[in-house]
Amino acid sequence: MNSPAGIQAHGVRRAFGQVRAVDGVDLVASPGRVTALIGPNGSGKTTLLLVLAGLLVPDAGTVTVAGYDPVTQGVEARRRTGWMPDVFGTWDSLTCREVLTTVAAAYRLPREAGAARAAELLTLVHLDEFADAPAHVLSRGQKQRLGLARALVHDPDVLLLDEPASGLDPRSRVDLREQVRSLAAQGKTVLISSHVLTELDEIADDAVFLSRGRTAATRTVTAAAAQRRPWRITSLDPDALRDWLAANGHVVSTGSTTGDGGGGAVLVHLDGDAAAAALLRAAVTDGIPISSIAPAGGVLEQAYLELEEERR
Amino acid sequence: MTRHGTTWHLSWHGIRTVARLELRQRLRSTRWKVALIVWFVVVGAITGLTVGALHAATDPGQGGPELGSLIFGIVVFFVLFLGLLVAPTLSAAAINGDRNAGTLATLQATLLSPAEIVLGKLLAAWTAALAFLAASIPFIVWSLFEGGVRVLSLLTTVLMLAVVLLVVCAVGLGFSALVAKTSGSAVLTYLTVGGLSVLTPVLFGLSTPLVTTLEDVRVWTVPDSAWPQGPADPQPTVDQCHWETQTMSRVHTERTWWLLALNPFVIVADAQPLGDTAEIERAGSANPLALIQYGVRLARTGPAAEEDWCTSQFTEYHEDGTVTKPDSPVAQVEPSTQAVWPWGLGFLLVLGAGSVVVAVRRLRIPAHTLPQGTRVA
Ligand SMILES: Nc1ncnc2c1ncn2[C@@H]1O[C@H](COP(=O)(O)OP(=O)(O)OP(=O)(O)O)[C@@H](O)[C@H]1O
Ligand SMILES: [Mg+2]
Repeated sequence: MNSPAGIQAHGVRRAFGQVRAVDGVDLVASPGRVTALIGPNGSGKTTLLLVLAGLLVPDAGTVTVAGYDPVTQGVEARRRTGWMPDVFGTWDSLTCREVLTTVAAAYRLPREAGAARAAELLTLVHLDEFADAPAHVLSRGQKQRLGLARALVHDPDVLLLDEPASGLDPRSRVDLREQVRSLAAQGKTVLISSHVLTELDEIADDAVFLSRGRTAATRTVTAAAAQRRPWRITSLDPDALRDWLAANGHVVSTGSTTGDGGGGAVLVHLDGDAAAAALLRAAVTDGIPISSIAPAGGVLEQAYLELEEERR
Repeated sequence: MTRHGTTWHLSWHGIRTVARLELRQRLRSTRWKVALIVWFVVVGAITGLTVGALHAATDPGQGGPELGSLIFGIVVFFVLFLGLLVAPTLSAAAINGDRNAGTLATLQATLLSPAEIVLGKLLAAWTAALAFLAASIPFIVWSLFEGGVRVLSLLTTVLMLAVVLLVVCAVGLGFSALVAKTSGSAVLTYLTVGGLSVLTPVLFGLSTPLVTTLEDVRVWTVPDSAWPQGPADPQPTVDQCHWETQTMSRVHTERTWWLLALNPFVIVADAQPLGDTAEIERAGSANPLALIQYGVRLARTGPAAEEDWCTSQFTEYHEDGTVTKPDSPVAQVEPSTQAVWPWGLGFLLVLGAGSVVVAVRRLRIPAHTLPQGTRVA
């Protein structure tokens, strides 16, 4: 196989009767990088992931996953793909360990290898104490973690995670972030869909925005960070800050528009980190008592809202 | 490999993985144990009541072999009846239930082929059905001790029961792959089972006017003139029998017997080795399975070209059980060559295999179309 690794999807379409769930998606996810799949409800994220996982036939377009076409080379593609569905169903009466050993057997792993892998993954997702408890006693977040372990059983090259963070507590989110980053560091391709964009800021390297089944934009997170976006500045003397900003030609909007402003915070649109650093230096030099300066809202959140704005 | 090749890829490892998963899921629900116990008690109670009632109804001196085969027939049919009720519940939710619970796609996304998933589920459902059958074997064997039942009959009957249960499980699986709702597939499976068990004999009965014709038949009989006109006249003798042609209406069941061949009860009854026909012919036999067997084989044969009304007039049954019959020019119907069960078995196997094929085709991935109103995940 000499087609490139990772995920390549071009012009993918898939309709359910009249509903065009995926209507022309182009997406490239590279090995060693985490790609975020972002879009409003019903924009076709889950459907696209099902096509990539080899469960749905695309009506049009070409797809390769880990170098194989999921339609014509399904077995080879699935052998290298780990898929974590968004609706997590599990075999209720099985224990967590049995769920994982069953999946290992389904991937044709030898029994001992499967048992060892199950133990390893249970530790990874911190479910050791529930290893021999039936899966139906697990909480939603614990089930979600078991779902991640299940997707990793056969050590896949490509990971498709559909809203893995939903239902996770803050600690588990941090764990998930670290797990995903370390999987990417091992050279795996990770495609992750989520609605928690601040979360994705820290996990993702690239982002693909879907809207009504189409690719609306593709960004790298670092490039998105360099885009013009609002920064929140607070000062011990808000009036002096306002006056100084006005005098230096910055357009000011009050912080309360973003919800958690208040307390004399001021929002200023700046072109990325360098502009922020320059502003800070100048203001401090002029004796303005600045107490904090930070981007208001996440990088991806900003990009997302801008795209929404354009479509209105 | 081609898509077709991977769909039908089969390995024992894969089938076993699925079957074990299904059985584990099932075995751990207490429902199942309770059902098995209830089954055991019900079949036991019915057997006990049958034995008790029959012993009470017959004089202590009589009974013997007849009683054993009657008990055998009743118990076997009761087990089959209950089996037909239970088997659909074991498989009719196996695929759509998993789809609704969101666990089907996770299996499909692994390296298991659709055929392995379907056959694994079928194996699990059948194993569960066989557990019910095994729980009733003590009572079937009980009738063996009452006498009159051959061990070979017992073997073929249990084997045929197992095959019928396998086919019903397969049909349930097929419907559960076709229909989105578990209640829908259960209803369709019950309709199929009910149709085969109840509708076929009803149709057979209702269709008799359609196959009844008026025709001329050669009859070997005593002439009307030989019958006594008054009390003084002599009785006719066997020497007076002669050929005459009579017009009569006859039911050509040889055109509709196949309706009976579709019936699981008939198949189970007919599959046992043929008993002593002379004994059955006396209609003294109380073995219900043997009576059904004899009946359907006669139905398959249909009316003969020539009829013998003479022989039975002069057949004598003696005290010691022997029978003397005059010679007859009409060929006897030979039921042993008219077995119905191979046709029924063939039909059942085709039905079961067809259901499996339907289910496998429905589980092929990547999927083109989804059952109405379902999502993959
Ligand atoms: N099996 C199906 N039959 C009919 N319509 C479907 C089916 N699956 C998805 N759709 C439709 O396709 C569109 C895309 O659905 P999809 O689940 O891919 O959205 P999503 O981006 O994952 O949304 P969410 O963020 O809510 O998870 C929706 O309008 C949905 O109603
Ligand atoms: Mg979704």
